[in-house]
Amino acid sequence: MSVITCKDVTKHYRSKKALNNLSFTIEGEKITGIIGRNGAGKTTILKILAGFLEATSGEVKIFDEKPFNNIMVSANSIYIDDQMTLPSSLTLAEILKTASNFYENWNTALADGLFNYFSLDPSQYHCNLSKGMKSTFNMILGLSSRCQLTIFDEPTTGMDAAVRKDFYRALLKDYIAYPRTILLSSHHLDEVEDLLEDVLLMKDGQLHLHIPISELKEYATSVKGKRTILEKWIRNKEVIHRSDLGAETTYAVVKNNSAVLLQLDNARHEGLDISPVNSSDLCVYLTSDTKGGIDDVFS
Amino acid sequence: MILNTDGSKPIYIQISEWIETEILRGDLNSDQKVYSQYQLAEMFNINPATAAKGLNILVDENIIYKKRGLGMFVSTTAQEFILNKRKTHTLQKLIDEIVLEAGRLNVDEWDLFNMIKTANKRRRKN
Repeated sequence: MSVITCKDVTKHYRSKKALNNLSFTIEGEKITGIIGRNGAGKTTILKILAGFLEATSGEVKIFDEKPFNNIMVSANSIYIDDQMTLPSSLTLAEILKTASNFYENWNTALADGLFNYFSLDPSQYHCNLSKGMKSTFNMILGLSSRCQLTIFDEPTTGMDAAVRKDFYRALLKDYIAYPRTILLSSHHLDEVEDLLEDVLLMKDGQLHLHIPISELKEYATSVKGKRTILEKWIRNKEVIHRSDLGAETTYAVVKNNSAVLLQLDNARHEGLDISPVNSSDLCVYLTSDTKGGIDDVFS
Repeated sequence: MILNTDGSKPIYIQISEWIETEILRGDLNSDQKVYSQYQLAEMFNINPATAAKGLNILVDENIIYKKRGLGMFVSTTAQEFILNKRKTHTLQKLIDEIVLEAGRLNVDEWDLFNMIKTANKRRRKN
């Protein structure tokens, strides 16, 4: 049974289509990264999956049930973001205590361990926490609930570099100890990519790519060199991105296929620089509206 | 070892190469148990599926073998195989690149040979 099935999911906010016929399935206990630009529809789909929003049309199934207004899905999933509204009259310790009654798999030892490690004050109120502390507390909630479907929407907002690193490691360790389906949306693909098994790349409310992270790394190749030679070489190839450096040099990213791979040696011999493209840059190129990026505005 | 995350080499390849080096150095011997995908995931802070992919490359090349329910172990021929593979592939590739660059710089064979000799001497001294 697949954990998540989306079929032709569309969501309108007034006249704006936030999601446009989005379809995908996620099977098994995997960590999947939800990647996309601002406004691509990441939060909308994640909130629909968690049952916070209802799709305008299309079919969404979580554990074979519709998530909206569904107690079964609510009990087995948790959605964490930086705008969580938690009761303002409860202290942090009381929130954890209450959450432990909600979630069947709640792990008190993990919650207490993380709470102490990050030196949170049990008598403090959630609304008085700093941005980073809030995110840290929410993350503890998300991990300790050990829900079969755990959704982190930009969980690291405001966290400093050390806390982010600790969070990623905690996530990985607890996932190994207790495998579950985790969705993680992030603007920092370079930070999370090692944790991920699959990547789901969104663009304009649609699915752009849904592949294992290892395939993303072999998805494209970058070529740099003399413009005249390079232009000849990239002919008949799918160019994902191109920018001109100076008067003579051009940088281009081409999609890999067997033909491209066979011609790499030949490109090297013609003096072109060949190198892999890191996943984070590739996603920016793939989801960019223009081939030249921000430079197009200034030209 | 800290993984190289600049994207120049996929993580799963780095994992398989790291285990190969452990075997070459004799830190992992024939019929000794290899790290599980979960141990590797924790050691290197990576997804267990990525670690598994690295291990599978080694299984495909018969460098390690699976024992059902027990884990993976180093094959008896592993060390020799890796040594040969690195000589014929990795080293050869490096040499091809050196020759190409030397050609661009008009360094002839004799000069190149002397440079290698000097480098070797330096290495022995250290």
